Parts: sequence; C-alpha cells; structure tokens
Amino acid sequence: MKLSLSVAENWVEAPLKQFVNEARVQLAVLLNPSGQVLGQYGFASSVDVMTACALAAATTASSAELGRQVDGKPFSGLHYAGKVRQIFLGQVPTAKSSLILLTVFDEESSLGLVQLFFAELCTAISQIVPPEAPTTPALAEDFERELNRNLSAMFGRS
Amino acid sequence: MSSPFTGLLQSLIRHRGVTGCMVVGEADGMVIDSSLQIGVNGDAFAALTASLYRKARRAAAAAGFGPTGFFELDADGGRMCAAGRNDLVIVVIAEPRVNVGLLRVEMLKALEALA
Repeated sequence: MKLSLSVAENWVEAPLKQFVNEARVQLAVLLNPSGQVLGQYGFASSVDVMTACALAAATTASSAELGRQVDGKPFSGLHYAGKVRQIFLGQVPTAKSSLILLTVFDEESSLGLVQLFFAELCTAISQIVPPEAPTTPALAEDFERELNRNLSAMFGRS
Repeated sequence: MSSPFTGLLQSLIRHRGVTGCMVVGEADGMVIDSSLQIGVNGDAFAALTASLYRKARRAAAAAGFGPTGFFELDADGGRMCAAGRNDLVIVVIAEPRVNVGLLRVEMLKALEALA
C-alpha cells in the first residue's frame, strides 16, 4: 500500500506536506474546483483519489450554492463529524480562482487544529501558486486527459 | 452576550497577571467562550492547548497516573494553565508574575461549575 504524499504540481508539495505533518490528518487531497487532483496524502489508489475528488468538488459546488441562497455568499468550509473519523472540506483562495482541500482526521487531531493549519496552508499557497497554475476548470474535452495525467503523475499506471 | 461560562471567566480574568481565559472543547479544540486581552490569538491558542491537554491526559493515563487534574506550561514570556472536566477545558494564559497557587485554586473551583 502506498500511503505517502504525492503531487501532480511541484509547488503543492511543501505546503501540503506541512499541513499533513502539523495537523496530523489521515488523508488529504488538494484539487481544483473541477475535481482535478493537484496533490494527495494517504490514499492507497488512484480510484480512491478520483472518487474523493469528484465528491469533494460536487459537495463544494453544492454548499457554495446553498451559502449563496442562505447568506448571499458561498460557504467556505464544511465539517462533518463521524463517530471515529471527521471530514473537513475547505476552499483555498488563490489570485485567479480557488482550490479545494478535502481532509480526513481522527482523534489524533481536532477540528481546531485542522482549521488552524488550514489557514496556514491557505496563506502558503496564495504566496506560491504560480500564475500559470491550473486553478481553473479544464475544458470538458480536456478534462479526462488532464485527470489521467495528474493521477499518473502521482500513482504511475493504475 | 453572556453564556453559562461568563461568570467563571470573569472571576479568572480578574486575577493580576492573567491575560486571557477560555472554555474550550477538549475533543475539537474550539473556543466556547473566552475573555482575552487584545493580541492573543484565541482560536490558535485554544486548538493547540486542547491538543496538548488531550495528549497530556493520555500520557498520564498510560503511565498509570489516573485522570489529569491540572496542567501547567511554563515559558520565558508567560504561563499557560489548563484544567478539564466533562469534555471541556478551562484554559488560562498569564504573565510569568501570576500567582500560580491562587490561580490553580480558582481554576479547580471553576471546574466544579463545569460538573
């Protein structure tokens, strides 16, 4: 089983690694709003990452719209506490658009710690994200190719 | 806006040398109520302190010391004290000159309010 950090974009590695180490999370994946993965930690296979990214992108889009309806602006974070594991889903603002972080943690961490180090991740990413970074959704005809390219970069052939 | 913990926090913040006090969820590290002087990052402090308290409690239990009652951290620039009950932790941030003995008594008394 491969449970290390892997990235599709090099600039993601340092801030994601720092977040994982400090927040003591079990899983983390950074993606763009269309569901394309930029970096992950803790996932065993590309299929799991693909599923997590699709669900994270869909959930973020739904909660953002719900926020617009309720509060006039998109909700920026979502937390679900299960009996053993918890999920935090947050938007990482960048100059051009925003990215999404999905993370899973247990009693080794806490929501407070995750939020604290998520704020630091946001600051770090906003400072280093290159202008040409793929933060905007890929065109429909490029989506699958881009998705496969990123997954291959992290897991090799799966 | 007051909470069930307002009185408890007011009695702690009145002590000379205390710069902030909070009631924090032990499991999630979130601030439930607080009284802080300007310049204290309450959210960060709460998250890190709750984590530290949780780990200290687990370490004490692993060593066979039983439940942790009072936890104190000394640094050059100040002190942090924590005491918990029922998944809640009372956290006090203080200057080095604070009377820790008195503060400890007050915090243990305040714990009764969390029962």
